Amino acid sequence: MSVTQTHGTGVVERPGSVAEAAELLRGSTGPVVFRGAGTKQAWAGRPDQAALVVETGGLAQVLAHNPSDMTVAVGAGLPLRDLQTLLGGAGQWLALDPDTEAAGATVGGLLATGDSGPRRLRYGALRDLVIGVTLVLSDGLVARGGGTVIKNVAGYDLPKLLYGSLGTLGLVAEVVLRLHPLPSASATVTAPVPIGPAVDLALRLRASALEPAAVDWADVDGGLLAVRFEGTEDGVAARRPAVLDLLGAGAGWHTGSAEDDVWLRLVGERRAEDGTTVVGAGSRPSATADVARALVQAGEASGVRTRFASQPALGLHTARFDGAPAAVGSAVTDWRERVQAQGGTVLLRDRPAAVDGGLDALGPPPSSVSLLRDLHRRLDPQGRCAPGRLGSWLPSPTAGEDSAT
Amino acid sequence: MTTYTEEYRALVAQTGGGQVTEAFRREVAAAVGPGGLISEPAQLRTYECDGLTGYRVVPALVVLPVTTEEVAAVVRACARHRVPFVARGAGTGLSGGALPVADGIVIGLARMRAIRSVDVADQRAVVLPGVTNAEISAAVAQHDLYFAPDPSSQVVCTIGGNVAENSGGAHCLKYGFTTNHVLALTFVSPDGEVVTLGGDAPDQVGPDLRAVVLGSEGTLGIVTEVTVRLLRRPEAVRTLVADFPDPGSAGDAVSDIIAAGIIPAAVEMLDELAIEACEKAVQAGYTLGCPAALVVELDGVGAEVDEEFQRVQEICRANASTNIRIADDAGERARIWKGRKAAFAAMGRISPDYFVQDGVIPRTKLGSTLTRIREMSDAAGLRVANVFHAGDGNLHPLVLYNGAVAGEAERAEHLATAIVELCVEQGGSITGEHGVGSDKACSMTAMFGPEDLTVMARVRAAFDPQGICNPGKVLPTPRLCGERPGPYRPHPLEAAGLIERM
Repeated sequence: MSVTQTHGTGVVERPGSVAEAAELLRGSTGPVVFRGAGTKQAWAGRPDQAALVVETGGLAQVLAHNPSDMTVAVGAGLPLRDLQTLLGGAGQWLALDPDTEAAGATVGGLLATGDSGPRRLRYGALRDLVIGVTLVLSDGLVARGGGTVIKNVAGYDLPKLLYGSLGTLGLVAEVVLRLHPLPSASATVTAPVPIGPAVDLALRLRASALEPAAVDWADVDGGLLAVRFEGTEDGVAARRPAVLDLLGAGAGWHTGSAEDDVWLRLVGERRAEDGTTVVGAGSRPSATADVARALVQAGEASGVRTRFASQPALGLHTARFDGAPAAVGSAVTDWRERVQAQGGTVLLRDRPAAVDGGLDALGPPPSSVSLLRDLHRRLDPQGRCAPGRLGSWLPSPTAGEDSAT
Repeated sequence: MTTYTEEYRALVAQTGGGQVTEAFRREVAAAVGPGGLISEPAQLRTYECDGLTGYRVVPALVVLPVTTEEVAAVVRACARHRVPFVARGAGTGLSGGALPVADGIVIGLARMRAIRSVDVADQRAVVLPGVTNAEISAAVAQHDLYFAPDPSSQVVCTIGGNVAENSGGAHCLKYGFTTNHVLALTFVSPDGEVVTLGGDAPDQVGPDLRAVVLGSEGTLGIVTEVTVRLLRRPEAVRTLVADFPDPGSAGDAVSDIIAAGIIPAAVEMLDELAIEACEKAVQAGYTLGCPAALVVELDGVGAEVDEEFQRVQEICRANASTNIRIADDAGERARIWKGRKAAFAAMGRISPDYFVQDGVIPRTKLGSTLTRIREMSDAAGLRVANVFHAGDGNLHPLVLYNGAVAGEAERAEHLATAIVELCVEQGGSITGEHGVGSDKACSMTAMFGPEDLTVMARVRAAFDPQGICNPGKVLPTPRLCGERPGPYRPHPLEAAGLIERM
């Protein structure tokens, strides 16, 4: 049995309020896809043809900003960069710096995809920053989880449950977040090192009391390691001798626009170009060099050109594949098996449609898949939310034995 | 009044209903080794309550498994016989989350006490649920690592309980809660299946099931192994105690510290009554008669901490601080914290009985909330001592009473509930770290609406369709929350055969 995997051109709706979104879902049937800025619609499996696309552009208000409490409540469709501009005026920010911010990524989309950036090392992921959520289920039920205060353990943690849910449980309509003060100073140290030594340095930095805000590596000119420090002027400057000593000859200290350039260059090494397949992965930090080696082996075995970029202190990696679609498909599968054998995870991102032909988009399910299915059946009983997004893990109601009785 | 949807009523109506029969006892006894079963009435009574001693139920049986497989076998027996089970760690919980269920069993995890492995390079450890919070940090201290969540009961409370309650502690303003420090869980679902939630990688693909289990208060399953994230010990730690002429000035100082862009590792406030009790109990060196004291701790890179510590002292002085005591060494710092962490137990020194309350307000509402609490306390004719995590607005009012005086316990309980409802009114929460448990299930409706609760009931039913896993906790049972049972009406889903009433 084959499932048509065309990208939906279903009815596109832009509800202007949570009540409208609930009404829209209650009054419709068939597969539905949720979309913010659309920067990550390609992530994971490709959903079935959608009957309805719900865009969150009409849910883009700042609902409440309490600078003294360091919290903000926003509509899910608010672009992160707009939020940062607003918060910057109060000397604050949402401590999240995903690559897709520049492309207009929204707060709701970032939560639903679990996207993060280099400074996750210091501040955590959106999972760690979200404190409340309003969720609209596919049957129109509107539920709030969490609250508006940073400390709260009442009820199930629905906000964090939605982290990485990829639109399969319902529409993230509103999000409440904890904020951080903007650091008064920042500096970045770079060192030209290949991945092996870079991982050793990343682990030594983590084991030190230097508290790096970010550690990033990409395959530029034989390897570029960048380490960012944030804090007070004195605090950042005080780290300089120790970190230059640790990173050795060739290390450079950058601030201001030179620092920005370093990070723009590293973002460029993770970006999808035309025809490139981008795959994200996670592992134990110390397994990073093995994950990189596995990528080289998988690429060579399939005759595919690969590139590796990593946040080695976190154990988060980005791989890019270029080659014939079928060969890329087998290289991705090969690499995924090797990463999973290490206990890691792999998530397909942007890629040409042709690559999906020879590839199981999700791969083997985790041991918890039956719990995931039970949960999904309770929250999205008709299986309307992006069926196919989690591939065989959450079979489409039309494709499995779980069709409505 | 639409406090609950029909779907909600139908979902929470599932509560096992099985009996602890001879056949069930034999199955459970076969599942655990010798010494793993308690059935003597006198011994069973040890398990009749947790830290919330006002509610007591003697369980039909207590099981003490030592491996994941034993836990799974016991849970499978419960599932087959529809016997409710309640997981229990050290029993220090303050919301009755480990209160046994009549005709149910308690699965005690205190014998699962091994630290499986410590991965220094990756800064994580795998521990069994009966390991205490403090033991984790002690075991990794030689590597300059520690486990960040530090509930006041950390010397006795277990990591399994911390996971269930999503425990916080004094340092969670900066470092977060248990949920931010757990990478993976070995989890026994209520049908006895053993799965892994989370894993080696920072993120898993798909919804974060680990996150919904964290803080679910034992209602979704039993955690039998925890992979915790460890942090590098900061280079510098500086601690001070600042005295203030009134709680309002102390609150203003906290606001100014935050506004200066400083995130302290901890900011705690104690009022005059709390100081009196602590000093009587442990002589930690707080100033007797001082209306409000702030404990402020900064940690991080040395140069940064020094700079910000100066700034904090200036801010305290600018807010009329009458005295600042600086801890000169680790011993002095430990003494300050001993006083703070002993605060609840110390109440026994100034009152025969007391209720510990736990509520959260937006930090900026501190002054007005304290004034309201004082008014309510005066009106009720009962003293209220205040100890709280001032940085994140987590209040712990202690309502003092004398149980020997007729009616005083009821008045005190009433006041404690009113204070928590005041927190919700201010835009806060009914619990910041003690959990909902049995104690506050009925207060959930103050914070969540019918549809919110319905979705939570759906989550619970997904994990536990039979309703055997710690039933009666977290989600309110309508008939126990001041509602008389009405005539039975089938829910539309039930009529459609999509759900059944067991």
